[in-house]
Parts: sequence; structure tokens; C-alpha cells
Amino acid sequence: MSSSSAPEAPPPAARALDAAQAGERNSGWVTALWALPGSLWLAFYLIGPLVFIVLVSFWTYRLGAKSGFTTDWTLSNYGTIFHSHTYWHNLLSSLETSLIAVVACLVFGFPIAYFLALKVQSLRNQIALFVIALAPFWTSFLVRSVAWTYPLSDVLGKFGVTTPSSTSVRLAMIQLYILFMVTPLFFTLAQVDRTALEAARDLGGNWWQTFRVVILPQTLPGIVIGSIFIFVLTMGEYGTVQVISQGAVTTVGVYIQTQIVGTQYPQGAASAVLLVFILILGVFAITRFSNLREDI
Amino acid sequence: MSSSAYAPAMERTQDSVVKRQYKPKRDWAKWGLATYFVIFLIFLYAPMILMAILSFQGYQGGVTFPFSGPAGLDWWRSIFVNEVHHGQQVIFTNADGIRTAGEGSLWVSLAAGAIVAFLAFTLSMAFRRRFRGDGVAFYIILLALMTPGFLLGLGTQIFWKAMNQETSLWHTALGTNTVWGIPFGFLVMTAIWNRYDDHIDEAARDLGANAARTFGEVTLPLVWTGIFGAFLFGFTLTWNDFDRTALLVVGNLTLPLEIVGLIQAAALRPDLYALGTATTLVSLAVIVTFLVVLTIRSRFRRAPVQSVEEELGLGGGIDAEAAEQVVEG
Repeated sequence: MSSSSAPEAPPPAARALDAAQAGERNSGWVTALWALPGSLWLAFYLIGPLVFIVLVSFWTYRLGAKSGFTTDWTLSNYGTIFHSHTYWHNLLSSLETSLIAVVACLVFGFPIAYFLALKVQSLRNQIALFVIALAPFWTSFLVRSVAWTYPLSDVLGKFGVTTPSSTSVRLAMIQLYILFMVTPLFFTLAQVDRTALEAARDLGGNWWQTFRVVILPQTLPGIVIGSIFIFVLTMGEYGTVQVISQGAVTTVGVYIQTQIVGTQYPQGAASAVLLVFILILGVFAITRFSNLREDI
Repeated sequence: MSSSAYAPAMERTQDSVVKRQYKPKRDWAKWGLATYFVIFLIFLYAPMILMAILSFQGYQGGVTFPFSGPAGLDWWRSIFVNEVHHGQQVIFTNADGIRTAGEGSLWVSLAAGAIVAFLAFTLSMAFRRRFRGDGVAFYIILLALMTPGFLLGLGTQIFWKAMNQETSLWHTALGTNTVWGIPFGFLVMTAIWNRYDDHIDEAARDLGANAARTFGEVTLPLVWTGIFGAFLFGFTLTWNDFDRTALLVVGNLTLPLEIVGLIQAAALRPDLYALGTATTLVSLAVIVTFLVVLTIRSRFRRAPVQSVEEELGLGGGIDAEAAEQVVEG
């Protein structure tokens, strides 16, 4: 430090420090500037629509109005939904499909993630096989749904599965969404402490004990994340279900869509709000299995 | 492990290593799981492959097996040209609709990719520091990831109705599709920043570069693969989307909508499969592109960002040894 030699002009180091501190103070503005475009975009295209689903669900249907509804507050939309037999039937059917999809994806997806993460030794092969397994995610769900209907109908028929049917829809759901389970499982399994596995073996643990005591607790976050994904996405499913089932299976999405096509926006919005409420309940129930915030 | 620090002064009995003949045991679980993995891949890919096979049928082919030969490119031609002649027979095709839809899909997907790349990058830049409300912002990004596309399409339609605006491909469907892409792009960028060494930026500033120059000449060149990844996410998710677009667009303006249009047409024909296979091939080509770019990049840079010299090639003046390593590597 040579601050004593030139007391009037601050030394370069001090100037740099001042500048850095000023930069630190200004960085709040810089950060805000960086966050601005994305925030505005998401506010307009994500938050706005979601808020308006809730608002419109309390507004009144009016045939003549340009928008299809007026801003008179009412609870009648919810009243109608609560008494709609079709809605509850569709909701239960969606719930059943969703739960089957979650459990099946977990059961069939776990060995895949386990194999990739713990049995494939070289990182290079691991990544290559993972990419091959993941590639269908980047292809169209719709096209794959189409593939499930006609080309596979004979093959499925040989196994006693008629198409379209609820079974073929569920099989297709597993195929379409299983990657949402395999991916988080793979990442959590890849982080499992190998020394803990060796320790378990050295202590005489058999495969099942090792799995239950060492592997399972460490992969719980992955299971929870995958389950949330599949539960939410399959509950909100409508395009692919429509294509595959051709009316054989009704879901809550298909129900809401028919209301929207009939410009019954307030009714559709109320149905959607109920659906979101059930989604939140489901996600809450799933997260009970693991303290995600701590585990991640 | 360096054991030199603990090297014993003299030989002790417990230090002598007992060498037994190691008998490699075949890991049956591994081979069982490998077999299962192959079955899983067949399960994943079979529908697409069967569809591709059926698209090469002769002009009399139907939409289910058996394959009716002879194999031909009639159905593939039919997605590009208006009339396919087969002897006396003429197949009137949907080529016009498919071309319109294809162009619509292509432009809207490119636009969505660009928007997702830009927004995911700017958002991730903000998240490099803690800021007030970052928790809320992060949850909103998660919300964008978790909201079913169908609900968002519905909400957007209602929102625009309430504003007395008509929804359209470019005003609404584009925006709604980017909402699905932004969280993926953001996660890619976050992964990039986690590996990024902030000291590189500091070094650039110490060497006299101002903020803009540091950003343009140091930061951006190091993270552009992540931005490119975000672009590809935006592109493919929009390219393949049906749920969001269907509720917001009138007419078959994108390929997924056109495919559903073909399904709902009176007579199902294998041109549906040719179109489906073609869109799938585009998606796969996008992944291959990305992997090729990653490979090329990692050839230039084997290790993750570790030191300024290595990264900027400034080794000579700072650290001759590191520079030599760079040259050799």
C-alpha cells in the first residue's frame, strides 16, 4: 500500500475497490434489467392466463356478449360442475389413468435408471445409452400417439388388448411419459454414494437390504419429482388421449375442451380451477414422501 | 490417494498386501437389466418404427398391417406434390395443406426457439446473483414447467377473450409455446452457469475490459452452447406441440394440427404415416445437430472451465507451463 505517499489522489487499489463497491451497488439494477424481459413475458403469457381462468370461473356466461361472458360475479358455474355427473366421472377416470401411469412408470422406469446409473461403468456409454433412451422425448407426442392406434392395433390384439380401449390408452401413456420418471431417477441414482454401497456390501447386506436402506432413501427426491411430473402432465392430458382413444376413454381434459368448443368459458374455467385444485392436492400428497427442499 | 505422508518407517505385518487370485464373477443382474433395457428401447421405438415401415407401402396400402407391397415412395411423394399417378390411378393428396402447415410450423418454431434462447439466457443471467424475489421468480419458472399445456391454452384463450382480442398463431400460440420452453432452456443455462468460473469475468475486468466487452468477448463465447441448447428446446417443443396450439388457432396452421386433421379425414391413408415419420425425423435431426455441436466443442475443450489462461489462450504471458499444456492438448 502506498496510500501515505499520495494522500490527495486515492491509490489505484482503493479506486478499484470503490469501483467494485459501486458496481456491487449498481448490480441490483443490472440484475433487475436481466430479469425484466423474462418476467414480463411470463407475466403476460403464464400468470395472466392462469389468473383469468380463476376470474372467469366466477363470471357469468352470456351468449350475446362478444367475449362470451360478462363480469357479473356468480357461483353458479361451480354449482353446475359440482352437480355434473359427467365431470366427476371424467375426473375419476383421469385420476385412475394418472395413478396407474405414475406407478407403472416408477416400476418399469426404475430398473432402466438403475441399469444406466449403476451398472454401466464408463461415463461415455452411460451418456450414449441415456441419450438413446431419451431421444423420443424430443419427438412429437402426437405422432407417437398416432403410432399407438393403427400400426400397433394388430400387435396389441394378439396380446388380447383391443384398440381403442382404456388399456391401450394406459399403455401409450406409460410409453409417452416414462422418460419423465427415468430422467430424475437417473440423475439421483447417479449421485448415490458408491462408498455407501460398498460399505453395505462389506457389512453383509444382501441386495434387498442394500436397496432399501442405502439406495431408496437417496433416490426418493427423484421418485418424487418424477411422480409429480407424470401425475400433473397425465391429469392435464387431452390431445393424445383424443387421438388414441377416439372417444373410448374420457378425461377431464376432453370434458373441458368440449365446454370450450361450445364457448362455455365460465363453465370450462370452473372445471379447470377444480382440476388445478386436485393437482395441487396430489402434488402436496406426493411431496409428503420426501422433504424435497432439504434433499435437493 | 497419496500415501507418502503416511508411509511407515518400517515394514509391519499388516502392511503386506495379501494377493489372492481374483475370480471375476459374472454380474448376472447387469445382463438381466441390459436385456430389459433393450426391451424397453423396443417398447419406446416400436410405434415409430412400425409407422415408418407402413409409410413405404404401395399405393393400395392401408393404415394397419399387413404391409401391402410392393414397397414404394408413393405416400412420401404425396406429402410433397399435389397428384401422385400410379398407372391409371391418381391419388389426390393434401400436399397444399401440408406445405402451409409445414411452413407455419417451421417459422413459428424458429421464432419460439429464438425467444426461448433469449429469455432463458437473460433470466439465467439474473439468477447468477441473489436478488429480492428470486425465490418467487424461481417458483414461477417451475410453474411454467408444471402447468399442463392444455390448461395454459385454455387460460390464454379466456385471457384474450376477456381483452376482446382474437387469438392467433403468432400473437398467442407462439407465446404459449415459449412458456413451455423457457423452463427447459433456463435449466440448461443454470447447469452451464454452475460450471462457469466467475473469476474469468473478474480477470477480464482486471485486464481492463469494461462490462460490455467482458460480456461480449468473454462470457458469451463461453456459454453459447447453452444458449443454443435453449434454442433447440424452444424449437422442438413448439415443433411438436399440439395441446397448446390446438385451442388457440383456427385452421390447420401447424404440422401437428394438420396430422390431427388427417386423422379426422374421412379415409385414413398412409400419407399420415409419411408425414408423422417426416416430422419425427426433423426432431431427431435437431438432437443429432446438438450432439454434433457438443462433440465439436468438447474436442476444442476437453475439461470444464478451469482457468483463465486455458480458456482465453493467454497462457504465454501468465503461465508458461499451462500454455504448453494447452498447446499440447
